[in-house]
Amino acid sequence: MQQVVLDRWFGFQSAFDHPVVLWASVGIVAALVISSATVAVLSAMGRLDDSTKTELRRRIASWCVLAPLMIGPILLGAAWTILAVVVLGLCCYREYARMTGLFREKLLSLLVVVGILAVGFAVADHWYGFFMALGPLTMLVIAALAILSDRPKGYVQRVALGVFGFFLFGMGLGHLGYFANDGDYRPILVLILISVELNDIFAYLSGKLFGRRKLCPQTSPNKTIGGAAGALVLTTTLVAIVGHRVFADGVMDSPAHLIGLGLIVSVAGQFGDLMLSSIKRDVGIKDTGSVLPGHGGLLDRFDSLLLVAPAVFHYIRYFQGIGLDQPVRILTGGAG
Amino acid sequence: MQDFDLKPANDLGMTHRQRTMSLARESGLIETGTHFAYWAMMRTYLRVYHRMSIRGRENIPAQPPYVMVANHSSHLDALMMVSVQRWRLRDKVFPLAAGDFFFETPAMAAFATLCINALPLWRNNCGRHVLGELRKRLISEPCAFVLFPEGTRSTDGKIGSFKAGLGMLVAKSSVPVVPCLISGTREALPRDKRCPRPRRVSLTIGQPLTFTDVSNDRSGWEQVANKTQRAVEALTDGSGGAA
Repeated sequence: MQQVVLDRWFGFQSAFDHPVVLWASVGIVAALVISSATVAVLSAMGRLDDSTKTELRRRIASWCVLAPLMIGPILLGAAWTILAVVVLGLCCYREYARMTGLFREKLLSLLVVVGILAVGFAVADHWYGFFMALGPLTMLVIAALAILSDRPKGYVQRVALGVFGFFLFGMGLGHLGYFANDGDYRPILVLILISVELNDIFAYLSGKLFGRRKLCPQTSPNKTIGGAAGALVLTTTLVAIVGHRVFADGVMDSPAHLIGLGLIVSVAGQFGDLMLSSIKRDVGIKDTGSVLPGHGGLLDRFDSLLLVAPAVFHYIRYFQGIGLDQPVRILTGGAG
Repeated sequence: MQDFDLKPANDLGMTHRQRTMSLARESGLIETGTHFAYWAMMRTYLRVYHRMSIRGRENIPAQPPYVMVANHSSHLDALMMVSVQRWRLRDKVFPLAAGDFFFETPAMAAFATLCINALPLWRNNCGRHVLGELRKRLISEPCAFVLFPEGTRSTDGKIGSFKAGLGMLVAKSSVPVVPCLISGTREALPRDKRCPRPRRVSLTIGQPLTFTDVSNDRSGWEQVANKTQRAVEALTDGSGGAA
């Protein structure tokens, strides 16, 4: 295997080479320390009632576990990043399948899992053709093999749930993993993860401040137009400023391109959030699981990322390409 | 357009421990895989080491729901009862196991859920409520249960009296009860031994009984238990089927 691939996959020595990665990591640690300290001080002063205190503590504790799990693999290397994305995809699919009842269809569930693993392989191999082919191929395998149980009643539902699940957690998150094939993947991924998470928080805060009219009350009663607009402005600003450092001197480094990127992150992020709300409303449940105390399931936390990853991927790829200077088909050999 | 019929997992939102103990537990992909692997291994083991012979396999209903019952004298009994099922249905068959033995320690509970797919029955608390929950699951899912109505392993090899709880599962329903007779397992793995000996074991499966007209109350339950017990005992003469 070529040295350049090994460096990208396992080269944790270069983790903090880019200032954005360094400052983002410092910022995350600082945010966790400061928020825990604030809660500790406020509860010592007796300013928090018991339920708020436990709720805040659980949320911070969850973040103390989640943040290292999200940032850690990116710092360690591209191989770990891709592995983490595949594991995340499988865990999210599990919650989705248990929520929609698709898990009772063992064969279809197995096909989706195999599809997600195949996406992981295509991404690790840096084989764009196979990565893109897996969308239609998995769909046709699911549609074909779903016939074998010989139960036409509910066929459309089973196939639709399987294909939807694969596209969300295989292809959608797979795009996030594919960024790791870029030579400079760390700052891009850090930018995406942080802006998507902050987009949620911006929407929540601006909604509290000047949210009056409801956005779509049937889907998610707490979301307001004010919150959505506030998040759009704040996230776009953040992405434009940080993106200027991430894409320094690249094709993407122009105000128009960066503002476009920010808008895509914010809009797709909010749609992702609403998408999960729609799924939950349709099924009739509140939380997707109980993995993260204070957050609900993993899906509740990563919903915004599902739509952002492919949208941002193809936007950046259109303007400046992704992983152009990196060797392709690392594992399979052959031409790209 | 018709809405999709989305049914979330019945054990959604439970913690790991709650889920392990729950009668509503549903297998995921990994558990289904371990169940199939475990039963394939056990079937081979019983065939090779114990020369398991089976009679009346055609008496097992083709589709769930149904309840398999037998006399009980050894831990091998449940293994035999599940490993003779059609392989497609093996993940839908739940042995009802004593909670105070199979779900007492975390290691044992992991074995009970990952390998034998057991649902816990607590000997001091298996009244109307618990059995009602099982009855609902049996009919609505549908699935199959393996249970030993004597309630415990026999010490002397004789068939003890069947408990009326069986009746609570099936009285006034069309769910068939399949009476089975197990022999040889007491010699192969007695109650007080840990290591099984290479003795022959055999399983005779009788014709299914249904209790559609039996009332779902105390007298009906006892009627179900007695009738099933007689059907199991009738299999001892080697006729292979009795009703």
